[in-house]
Amino acid sequence: MKTLPPPCPEPESGRLYWRSLDQLARTPEFQQWLEREFPEGASEWQDPVSRRHFMRIMSASFLLAGLGLAGSGCRRPEERLMPFAQHPEGYVHGRPEYYATAMPTRTGALPLVVKAHEGRPIKIEGNDRYPDGNGGTDRWAQASILNLYDPDRARRITHQGQTVPRQEGLDFLTGLAGELENRRGRGLAILAEPGTSPSRARLRRELQARWPEAGWYEHDPLDLAVHRRAASLAFGRPVQPRFRFDRARVVVSLDCDFLGTEDDAFQHIRRFSQSRKLEKPEDTISRLYVLEALLTLTGAQADHRLRLPASQIGAAALVLARSCGVQGLPEVPTEGLWLAWLEECAKDLVAHRGRCLVVAGHRQPMAVHVLAHAMNHALGAVGETLELVPAEPASEDGLAPLAQALRQGQVDTLVILGANPVYTAPADLDWPEAQQKARLVVRLGYAEDETFPLCHWHFPLAHYLESWGDARTSDGAYLAVQPLIQPLFGGISELEFLARLQGRAVTSPYEIVRETFQAEVRPANFEEEWKHFLHDGFRGGPAASLGRLALQESAVRQAVALVTLPKPGPDRLEVIWHRDHSLDDGRYANNGWLQELPDPITKITWDNAVLMSWRTARDLGVKNSELVEITLGGRTVRGPAWVQPGMADYVLGLALGYGRERAGRVGRRVGFNGYALRPGGHPHFAVGATVKGTGRNYVLACTQDHWSLEGRPIIREANLEQFRKHPDFVKRLDLHPPPVVASLYPNPLDREKERALHQWGMSIDLNACVGCSACVIACQSENNIPIVGKDQVRRGREMHWMRIDRYYAGPPERQKDKSVWRREEHQWRESWIEQVQVVMQPMLCQHCEAAPCENVCPVNATVHDHEGLNVMVYNRCVGTRYCSNNCPYKVRRFNFFDYNKRPLDGLYKGPFARRPQEELDLVKLVKNPDVTVRMRGVMEKCTYCIQRIEQAKIARKVQARDSGAVEVPDGTFTTACAQACPAGAIVFGNVADPNSRVSRLKRQLRDYTVLEFLNIKPRTTYLARIRNPNPAMPDYYEMPLTLAEYTARSGDPFAAGHGGSGARGHATGAHAPAGGH
Amino acid sequence: MILIGLVLVGGGVVAGVWYYFTPKYTRVGYQPLQPVAFSHKVHVDQLGLDCRYCHHDVERSWFSNIPSSSTCMNCHNQVLKDDPRLALVRESAATGRPIAWVQVHKVPDYVYFNHAVHVNRGISCVECHGRVDQMDEVFHAKPLSMAFCLECHRDPASFIRPLEKVTDLAWRWSEDPAEHARQQQAWGRRMVEHWRIESLQNCSACHR
Repeated sequence: MKTLPPPCPEPESGRLYWRSLDQLARTPEFQQWLEREFPEGASEWQDPVSRRHFMRIMSASFLLAGLGLAGSGCRRPEERLMPFAQHPEGYVHGRPEYYATAMPTRTGALPLVVKAHEGRPIKIEGNDRYPDGNGGTDRWAQASILNLYDPDRARRITHQGQTVPRQEGLDFLTGLAGELENRRGRGLAILAEPGTSPSRARLRRELQARWPEAGWYEHDPLDLAVHRRAASLAFGRPVQPRFRFDRARVVVSLDCDFLGTEDDAFQHIRRFSQSRKLEKPEDTISRLYVLEALLTLTGAQADHRLRLPASQIGAAALVLARSCGVQGLPEVPTEGLWLAWLEECAKDLVAHRGRCLVVAGHRQPMAVHVLAHAMNHALGAVGETLELVPAEPASEDGLAPLAQALRQGQVDTLVILGANPVYTAPADLDWPEAQQKARLVVRLGYAEDETFPLCHWHFPLAHYLESWGDARTSDGAYLAVQPLIQPLFGGISELEFLARLQGRAVTSPYEIVRETFQAEVRPANFEEEWKHFLHDGFRGGPAASLGRLALQESAVRQAVALVTLPKPGPDRLEVIWHRDHSLDDGRYANNGWLQELPDPITKITWDNAVLMSWRTARDLGVKNSELVEITLGGRTVRGPAWVQPGMADYVLGLALGYGRERAGRVGRRVGFNGYALRPGGHPHFAVGATVKGTGRNYVLACTQDHWSLEGRPIIREANLEQFRKHPDFVKRLDLHPPPVVASLYPNPLDREKERALHQWGMSIDLNACVGCSACVIACQSENNIPIVGKDQVRRGREMHWMRIDRYYAGPPERQKDKSVWRREEHQWRESWIEQVQVVMQPMLCQHCEAAPCENVCPVNATVHDHEGLNVMVYNRCVGTRYCSNNCPYKVRRFNFFDYNKRPLDGLYKGPFARRPQEELDLVKLVKNPDVTVRMRGVMEKCTYCIQRIEQAKIARKVQARDSGAVEVPDGTFTTACAQACPAGAIVFGNVADPNSRVSRLKRQLRDYTVLEFLNIKPRTTYLARIRNPNPAMPDYYEMPLTLAEYTARSGDPFAAGHGGSGARGHATGAHAPAGGH
Repeated sequence: MILIGLVLVGGGVVAGVWYYFTPKYTRVGYQPLQPVAFSHKVHVDQLGLDCRYCHHDVERSWFSNIPSSSTCMNCHNQVLKDDPRLALVRESAATGRPIAWVQVHKVPDYVYFNHAVHVNRGISCVECHGRVDQMDEVFHAKPLSMAFCLECHRDPASFIRPLEKVTDLAWRWSEDPAEHARQQQAWGRRMVEHWRIESLQNCSACHR
């Protein structure tokens, strides 16, 4: 070993520079520098040298030094590590932190646990400790993380549109508070969104106590509070209905999309799927009847579905109610109603007295809700399947009264908290004109949107992930809203704003929430219980049911004196404004993930369409994707028509939330604005519209154009009776497997499987999955999946690793011949789509044991690991795309462009277009650092969340240390999709462990493999769907319609000798019957 | 002739680059100037600090942390408390501005290396970082290329050691190399079995 020279006496900081070679050669610094860079080489320099020798060394050294000094050349660029100056106690860099919080909604809240990495939140999960939940969430909660890092959110305080310093804005609020105090609140009107925060309610009570003349108005364009209002009216006290779908054996939905666009859908999905899961044929499942106009997710799960215009649901409800024994109902014409259907449905309800439930949707008028409650009462459901919990009284919508007050000059100061009334107000209210009647308009808004130009002062609202607050679930549980990060752009939370407006001494939202906690809970040991509250995210649980309340007969009689609207016809169409599945009422228009999320029924992204049935389109002479003009009440709106199977006739469906002018760079001008057509009183439907085709085509980006299964057993389903008679029906549906020849060489993975600790697999229960798409957004959030824009989606290049396939099946007597299945671009013309059954299937990488994608990769970028995962190595991939070509499930997604760096409207410009740096800097904060961000030219696909698998294994090994306890116990972790699923349809785990949940599910009789005849042995299997139709119903089919298709194509699967050896990879299979495969 | 010459020269250049532009040659020996002249030899060898006193998260996280200035000040608010060499440390602890250390060891972004699982399962710091306790200024001692990682992953029995010796960089089973090798193999093989060390070689272990 050489000896090191003594250390340099001068302090060494920064680079050393020299002016000449001489200086360099002779100074001790050079000697030291040489020593340090090349410790081995320096020994040469110690020896006495000749000039020539010197030159040789010098030149070589300089060459390499130049390269090294330059920093580039052979060496990677110098990077810096910046530790803390003061290390926060307990912080471990690289280990994520989890905090409980809640996402407030307009009618309740979702309990959440949010994962934070390096001090910023990156992934939202449900709070599985919350007693009334399974840790599932919905798509909005999953996507709200992207809203936090929205580059178009409000970041500044403005006065007359000009930025003002923060202190000036806060001083203005203080001044305003003083001014209002002097007037005792006269002329003050506050327009807020409905909410359940106890702290806000307390601040509101304080405000209204001090300033009794101040007005408080709440506005929700969707009026989701109708459930509470109706129940309160029907039962005579302020109550919130809680629907116990898990207890009901028969459910009747009156236009209630409780699995889709109702609030608390995630709870409804969980309870409903509990009533649909079954293990053995002798188990029972519930039965769902749906009456609806649009085809919704609830209708997709229905065992019996009646298509009715929304305006006629009331009449149908009356018929049902009368048959259920409700007294004192008015007479109503029943022409056009399928009375036989309604009667059998009512008989089924009566037969399940006490175990049935009737629910009405938020789009239906109050009368229908009250009727539903009357039916529930008559059927003994109250206290059993309909639980009523005490609640705060629901407010009426305040926009129209406020507009009137404004026009009468009663409002001097208008304060808007969060709402966007310029966009969401009904068209004939002319809200912008009314708003400008106020002398001073102050708004606290999340973005500088449509309402922003008409406000004098605008303050940025903080996101719930950066605010202190609290909330209640719709059924009364007290939740904490805890910030994960300081407000990124100086956002002010609603509580703080209100406190400042009132001139309160304490304005810190943290203190306000603590005050509320003290008042609500009155804890014995405040700090201790406060810490528990924040740790758990909730205190207590949902409110207890009030039991069997009595129906207020007189209130019911008054309420059901409803006005029946005329039946819609081709010249008097019904228009339904429905809540968009992705964008809600428009608030998520700038959220790229939600814009690109395909609507689970129409599979349209980035647009809304005018939905109409086949017959409507035919009678109006409108083609699919044709731009049409809808005229109602003198207003016209233009949008693309979409022929939607399963819709009621002469009904138009317009999704709200599109056509926004000031939504941000993603949401601007996407789709058309349904609010522009909506009359005052914001009804959810109206009759009297006319439609005119323009002859122009509008391109819609739809991710699934092909609607039919074509008789293939990709999704397998049977009626409950069939399942009982043939418990092995899934095996009977197997297509004839290919003859298996012996392997050419032994599979090395088989040997490794014996040594491996785990074998990963997944089971998806099609009886539980409703198609809500929370898993799709959860996967996108967890795995840094980019959005690609409408143009690329049209080319089929959407990047979702997980998709929900949706298929329609028509009645066999309407399918004229099999060739109709193939003409997908003309399927909208076929009459069979009028009355359909819908099936959903989440499709993701199946992780096949004999994966066809692995064999064909020329660079071995996709390999199989010893635990059964099909692994994708991004750094090896050269972009041949042969693997995607070979994948029979088509679950592999290719990065055709650098979707992260390039703007969506400039992808083809390549390096000449770049997203603004500040936008990139903000949006990259949402990325998960444990998952590679893929560049252009690389294939990607579901990895079974390999990062979670590795983290769980590593955590277990770190815990095990010098012992052999390294197997990860079942339930320690799960994939993002499984964790997000509110239905618990996706179960992931170790299939090598016979006691794990996934192993038990795979042993069920309903378990099958998609495309089993290819013999590629996927690790993801599905549990077949079981329908439960009522044989007495007039629209009863002996078998589900997809099974009828299968029979038409491949013969009766229950006939003796029908194909399907069933055995996987078995050498000899049964031969095809005469029916032919 | 010229063509043959060009081909030979071209082939030579390619071969040279292929061989020499690998981490074994481009990274080993990298010894950048750090903003503060911290000597591991003084602190670890002379004073006897354990690696984990400063790099405390090496057992808990994938990332082995660089100590914060407050860790330095634990001693240096008394020891050498006015020494000019520590001026930057004192300034950092006082103002909260971090010291911008130059990163010596880094694997590419597509490699997900986890310190905790290695340190907790018997791999000593010396296997990848060399004799840091003898370094006055940290240099890159091992190539940290994929081949280097696979050397150990293919033969973990030759590299694992008792957990309490993980931070003892000079430790060997015996001074005699043959005896050391023999004991290492005997003990290593038993422990690989006993601890169920997977020592993964498939892509998903590191390339997610």
